[in-house]
Amino acid sequence: MSIHKPNLVANLTRREALYGLSGGLGSLAFASMLQAEGAHSIGSHHPAKAKRCIFLMMEGGPSHIDTFDPKPALTKRHLQKFKRSGDKESAMSSGERYFVQSPFDFIKAGKCEADVSAEWHHLKNHVDDLCFYRGCQVESVNHPTACYHVNTGNRFGGDPAVGSWVTYGLGTLNDNLPGFVVLPRNSYPQGGASNWSNGYLPADHQGTPLRPEGSPILDLHAPAGVTRKDQRHNLDLLAKLNGKHFKARPDQGELDARMSSYELAYRMQMEVPGILDLKGETKKTKEAYGIGDSKTDSFGRKCLLARRLVEKGVRFVQAYAGNWDSHDYIERAHGSLIRSVDKPIAALLGDLKERGLLEDTLVVWCGEFGRTPDNGIRGGGASYGRDHNAKAMTMWFAGGGCKAGHTIGATDEIGAEAVECVHHIRDVHVTWLNLLGLDDNKLTYYHAGRHKQLSQFGGEVIRELIA
Amino acid sequence: MFIRSLFCVLVHITIGWVTSPAFGEVSVGEKLFALKVKPLFAQKCMACHGDEPKKIKGDLDMRTRESLLLGGETYEDEVLIPGKGEESFLYILSTRVEEGMEMPPKEADKLTEEQTWGIRDWINEGAPWPSQERVAMIQKKYAEGEQVVTSKALSDDWQKRRYETKKLWAYRPLKVEKVPEDEHPVDWFVNRKLKEAGLDPAPDSSPLELYRRMSFGLTGLPPGRLEAIKFEREFGNSHDALLAHAQELMASPHYGEHFARHWLDVARYADSAGFANDYARPNAWRYRDYVIRSFNNDKPYDRFVKEQVAGDEMDPTNSENLVATGFLRMGPWEQTGMSVFKETRQMWLDDVTDSVGQTFLAHAMQCAKCHDHKFDPVPTRDYYGMMAVFSTTQFAERKAPFLSSESKEGFDTFAQLIQSKVSSYEKQKRKLAQKINQLKKAETGNAKVGDNGLDPGDEASQSRIFKNLIRHRIELDRVEPVTHAVYTGKTVPMKNVQGRLNIPEDPWAKGYLDPDVIYDGGSVYAQGEAVRPGGLSAAESLGGMTPRPFPADKGKRRLALAEWIVNEENPLTARVMVNRIWSWHFGRGIAGNPNNFGGTGELPTHPALLDYLADWFMKNGWSVKKLNQLILSSETYRRSSRHPDSDSLEKKDPKRLLFASFIPRRLVAEEIRDAMLLASGELNFKVGGIPARPDLNPEVAFQPRQIMGGTASVYEPDPLPSQRNRRTIYAERIRGLRDPFLEAFNQPGPEASCELRQTSTVAPQALTLLNAEEVHDRTLAFAARLLKERKKEPAVIQRAFALALGRSASADELSACIERWKQATAAEKEKAPVSKTYSQKIKRTVMAEKTGEPYDFWEILPVYETYQPDLQGSEVDARTRGLAHVCLVIFNLNEFSYLD
Repeated sequence: MSIHKPNLVANLTRREALYGLSGGLGSLAFASMLQAEGAHSIGSHHPAKAKRCIFLMMEGGPSHIDTFDPKPALTKRHLQKFKRSGDKESAMSSGERYFVQSPFDFIKAGKCEADVSAEWHHLKNHVDDLCFYRGCQVESVNHPTACYHVNTGNRFGGDPAVGSWVTYGLGTLNDNLPGFVVLPRNSYPQGGASNWSNGYLPADHQGTPLRPEGSPILDLHAPAGVTRKDQRHNLDLLAKLNGKHFKARPDQGELDARMSSYELAYRMQMEVPGILDLKGETKKTKEAYGIGDSKTDSFGRKCLLARRLVEKGVRFVQAYAGNWDSHDYIERAHGSLIRSVDKPIAALLGDLKERGLLEDTLVVWCGEFGRTPDNGIRGGGASYGRDHNAKAMTMWFAGGGCKAGHTIGATDEIGAEAVECVHHIRDVHVTWLNLLGLDDNKLTYYHAGRHKQLSQFGGEVIRELIA
Repeated sequence: MFIRSLFCVLVHITIGWVTSPAFGEVSVGEKLFALKVKPLFAQKCMACHGDEPKKIKGDLDMRTRESLLLGGETYEDEVLIPGKGEESFLYILSTRVEEGMEMPPKEADKLTEEQTWGIRDWINEGAPWPSQERVAMIQKKYAEGEQVVTSKALSDDWQKRRYETKKLWAYRPLKVEKVPEDEHPVDWFVNRKLKEAGLDPAPDSSPLELYRRMSFGLTGLPPGRLEAIKFEREFGNSHDALLAHAQELMASPHYGEHFARHWLDVARYADSAGFANDYARPNAWRYRDYVIRSFNNDKPYDRFVKEQVAGDEMDPTNSENLVATGFLRMGPWEQTGMSVFKETRQMWLDDVTDSVGQTFLAHAMQCAKCHDHKFDPVPTRDYYGMMAVFSTTQFAERKAPFLSSESKEGFDTFAQLIQSKVSSYEKQKRKLAQKINQLKKAETGNAKVGDNGLDPGDEASQSRIFKNLIRHRIELDRVEPVTHAVYTGKTVPMKNVQGRLNIPEDPWAKGYLDPDVIYDGGSVYAQGEAVRPGGLSAAESLGGMTPRPFPADKGKRRLALAEWIVNEENPLTARVMVNRIWSWHFGRGIAGNPNNFGGTGELPTHPALLDYLADWFMKNGWSVKKLNQLILSSETYRRSSRHPDSDSLEKKDPKRLLFASFIPRRLVAEEIRDAMLLASGELNFKVGGIPARPDLNPEVAFQPRQIMGGTASVYEPDPLPSQRNRRTIYAERIRGLRDPFLEAFNQPGPEASCELRQTSTVAPQALTLLNAEEVHDRTLAFAARLLKERKKEPAVIQRAFALALGRSASADELSACIERWKQATAAEKEKAPVSKTYSQKIKRTVMAEKTGEPYDFWEILPVYETYQPDLQGSEVDARTRGLAHVCLVIFNLNEFSYLD
């Protein structure tokens, strides 16, 4: 009963031809509720440790220089003038520019002596589980295009997100939950919901955003005044009238599926609120995640929810934090942002580890790009902030077979550009899939006359990142 | 050392062996190599194993026999063991049995069994490796498949490669068969295939089903009850009546709206620019109306193409022509203060090249941007040749007086609303400036650090207000006589584009000429060989087009391309459009990928029919309406969607490629919304004009949306129901803010061209149709309308069925609906619905970029001073509300959303 096709009812798509039409709905399940069909998957291509993924998306572009990639050389050059020129000059680089030192001290943390800004009071205790990567480069210095690139492999958006590919490849671990869940902030990122779109993949691989305010899923509940009893009666009449129509068209399986989708939707209204309910968690756990403290509550809830979701079998959870776009006042802004995610992330890593989940859960932390070692004149003075930098960023991985306790790649003396183990984001995508047992070259989908893939046209695995 | 010297000996021997056969005598192995193995290597292996000698993967160099014998790092001398095909890893890996070492690595590139056998057999024959000249000689003498003359490839191997003949179908001249006089051409070709397959066609649909199909197919709206009954009667007397009714439907302005919807999917229409600022494209609506007008006036398709590609170069004094060129700028694009102009300019050049290729020629040009096309005879030179056509194309919002055919309705009220929004922001801006002046202190430290005595959100609000003022001022251009267009001239670098771009007095005075070159590897920083503007060289050579050089320099390059596209010798253009129109009627193209006629797209199922129709189309003045008539008058179109012998259909045509029965379809998002509005009597039938702002799911409308520099203003719907309840094609399309109702029903995003709508069935659709406020508004209005028009219960329900489903209710249905109505009325009597209230301001909480801390602000919503909601539950009695439950059920029926 897989239903996703050009506007035809009876025509079979390639996907259906491959996987067959499963009959009946089987167990009444959340995944099916969202999809009105059993989740299909390709299955993994090679054995891998990671079975699921939590993607902590630091929207806005966190500064590598002020988080995990110290640049003492900048201290010497602090507020010295600097000129960028040539072909690649943007409006951003016009006028006078100044080097800016990091306002934060750095420490060597853990057995692996990882570089960490001293602001990471909690995360510093987990660095031996992290694999820092400083070699990634992207192509775009604008937020939406860069976000699309990191999220979907395509700068223009419209293609499937990493999470969509992973659920397409691996399916869901639990039929009671959607395969790909997104925990956005109350304001959607630049570029909007296309950041978790299923693109040309079947609609059941779309990221399901659980909205932090209002109705977690749009139109989950009937408008005020419509009771559950009303709904039941309406659905009963609907089934009766639909039944007669379907009887005359028994070959059109899609009609049957659509009828079932109404029953599923009806039950979904009951099930979804329970998923979001944190009541079952102990006070200690909530405190560990920073829930209840206004500074950390928002991301703490997302991290705890992420753990609960993967524990229940969600394949891919993406949680948004931000906005890290600190063109000014980096000390204040990044300081505040680090505080808002530090404790929640540390709690998440500790919690996953304690429950034995970290081993087969890949955690990825990154933004859409890094930041520049220099800044322009703003508001009549050199501001302690940084612009966008596509040539250097830091990302880290944890769990799931990554090379924990290592820092891979390096940027130049001032953090302007990656110079060691340099890879395009497409190679990171290929590696990411590889860690999850998927081969980017095999995870393809035929669309508009072409076999398409996450990396667009192939890339290579960054072996250095794999344990 | 020992191994190495052994190799030397081996190499020696084998070289001797290869050259030994007498000259002129071609061995089996040599033939295999020249015809199968070498081309296969070039196509599938050399990208990683030889094309770039410095980047050879796995140390396996496949450029010569010697290097192949040396092997790579994994299998060394077991890669190629002459005489032992089954044992050579070159063969073994190609069969994909070695996990992790499948070659080529991409699943999509995998070799066919026959190809792997070719490698095996060649090795078994001793793996001979004749010289290049000898290979050329063998190929010339024995090769299958064909070579294609193209402009010039980047590599010699590509230039000489051979294509499967059947995959070149789209480039060949039309092959027009003669159809017997008394036969309908569509049926002649379709029935011939059915006969070959031994499959009987389904009988005709019932007249009412057929008329509903025609009405949705031609206008996107459900049929009128009276028209349907008239059709039933007249069609019963004579099938010829169909044509008159089709003409009548096409004479309605809603025909143009519906066909424009199809076209705008391909063109990626939107009212905003997308990306970081998502600024309004205030005049894009004029392009949307241009398309509607063109279909309604049955503008010849060749002219339609020319105007969109080169209207300004044809006659810039004609507004119609200028508006048409909006097509070239329909993709998402922006130039922010952060962007490098050279790169954003290139983004557009790439985008327009690809979109012109896909739209008019069914060629995804982007596949040839970095390398010669992997599958199709499109060398990279052709890509840059077509891009060079646009080197002198520049953006401008050009003056274009409104035509009498354009709607200027609602200009004043729109401008007033935006003005009030602007004023409210200006007031806030002044207040904030005062506060900042009073409180702001000098910052400590040697650089600005933000300890300036201000609240966390003050500076963020400043920037947010500043940005939204720019955004709304851009919107004000919506009512100005300018259009989103292009001109021909030199490129003038731009910095931060936020608003109208003007055309310079002398377009050739300032700026520079973009170089007409190949960019190596697709990088704008790597200028390669020079190119001339041009079209697709394979279409010229295989299609037998007379060469017509395009002008360069200051010439009218786009006009030359437009004329090249619509030249009747061009084998692609008519086929592409005819295939699209066919797909709009039947839900699938004769060729399965309307945007891709290349070798990887699906081959046409009825090539003779496609060619016949393409030729017919051109001979009939490229008239879309006439083509519609030809298609609709066929038996094929009339066929029932229910085949009487479904077993045999399933067996003989499991993919439904033969058109034995009509393929049923779900209505698209726009049709579902329009059909509800039509049934409820709320639909405003007005044609054209500035975008409408319908009600949107309020949670989405009020949700903060990040843009560069802050948070975008809230989405505010139009104040009056008549403004909001227009056909969906008029709903403002904002790239960064999709309407969740339409998105749920598979409306494609406006980022990429959509060749054909997809349909998926997921539970969120049920949630939307059951729970969305907009749907409940419709059901209530529908119920109220029914009770106004009919009194007695059976008559009310019959009227509901007639309006929503185009048929009468059976006795069973009638009693079930009346029973539910009574039950619901009883329940409604117990309720006391309250009127919805609308606040004129809203408090929002977002994160301040500068401080990384959350802050609140109030936004003024001027529209709610005059907003009139749709009919509300509190305004009607329990009986009406009870009936609304039945109406909700009717809108949720499969029958409502599916066409037979």
